[in-house]
Amino acid sequence: MTVSTTGSTAASTMVRLEGAARWFGAGHTRVVALHPTSLEVKAGELLAVMGPSGSGKTTLLSLVGGLDKPSEGKVVVDGKDVGAMKSRDLAILRRRTVGYVFQDLNLLAGLTAAENVAIPLELDGRAVGAARHAALDALGSVGLGDLASRFPDDLSGGEQQRVAIARALVGGRPILLADEPTGALDSMTGESVMRLLRRHCDGGGTAILVTHDAAHAAWAHRVVFLRDGRIVDEARPASATAA
Amino acid sequence: MSVRYGILALLAEAPSHGYQLKSAFERRTGSQWLLNIGQVYTTIQRLEQKGLVESIAPDGAADDDRRDYRITDAGRAELESWFENPVVLEEPSRDELTIKVLLATAAGSVDLTSLLQRQRRASVEQLQAYTQRKATADPERDVAFLILLDALIFRTEAEIRWLDACDARLRALGLIEGEGVR
Repeated sequence: MTVSTTGSTAASTMVRLEGAARWFGAGHTRVVALHPTSLEVKAGELLAVMGPSGSGKTTLLSLVGGLDKPSEGKVVVDGKDVGAMKSRDLAILRRRTVGYVFQDLNLLAGLTAAENVAIPLELDGRAVGAARHAALDALGSVGLGDLASRFPDDLSGGEQQRVAIARALVGGRPILLADEPTGALDSMTGESVMRLLRRHCDGGGTAILVTHDAAHAAWAHRVVFLRDGRIVDEARPASATAA
Repeated sequence: MSVRYGILALLAEAPSHGYQLKSAFERRTGSQWLLNIGQVYTTIQRLEQKGLVESIAPDGAADDDRRDYRITDAGRAELESWFENPVVLEEPSRDELTIKVLLATAAGSVDLTSLLQRQRRASVEQLQAYTQRKATADPERDVAFLILLDALIFRTEAEIRWLDACDARLRALGLIEGEGVR
């Protein structure tokens, strides 16, 4: 396990929401995207969040990823209170701790796979050579070592999504946030992406996956159901034992 | 139905006796449909009566367990026609969950939000269990098992999509409250 822990007993908590809520506007026009929500995700856990459009899935993910701050309550990521962080520190959190994968891949067309993957490290001030080396490692870990010098247009949809995952994990970022990462992929390719997420977590990493696709959510250790901005239920496989 | 064609398909490859047919059928269908040997013999008897298979051993020469059977020309024709024609389910098949949701909707006194969510949770947990088995299967050695698991997974997934559709439809009609809480 690569995650730093202070205790030696159970897996450490990587993400914690303590009554975290997010609303927009005020008074009569206030729209609540997420009601006060409490949730813990531990190292080694793959959590899936399911719910219809507008149920608050993406809001929850944005809070954890430091892209947004809670209106109320706390969001603690890797021991740090995201709501209290300055934007510079949030940027560091995104570069070193939390990686994002979107349905819309956001790979830069003019850069090779390896160059795309190296971006977060270069932004973080890492020397180009070291960043390139880490990028090749990350691409190797998603099975794309041989395609490192290809441009995104020369890769299939599934390969592009694996490049995006490598970019999200490069440099050993422990937390992966994925928003409908399999949305545009056929079922076998989507499954290979889910195997990758699961492997990341089985190796001690943490991932939160937002999806409306139950077959992909089923790769998670735990599935929470959001509805109208509230967690209303939770599923885990019958054979799972309490951690 | 599937046992009958399964036995025909196996006999089309080589003559076999009952126990061989039982274990070959189970192996090829992912070891999830276990047959009892009585069922195999009953099916063989029916196939024999219809002239689709025949016993090789002369009567009384061997006990039932060791008697080999082979497929007849009529049996081959029947099997070919089965492979050539699509499987068409009789619609609508009577399905307990569909009936439950329809009756709950009509009753008006049942908490539909909770009913749908309880079912959704159970189905997702079922999917998680299938997926765990899929994750540990060997993609080259366990092909039959994986194809079977995919069938179960996609059927369960379809059920969840249907639950979501019911939810959205009933919500649009105001039959489920907008702010759903358990």
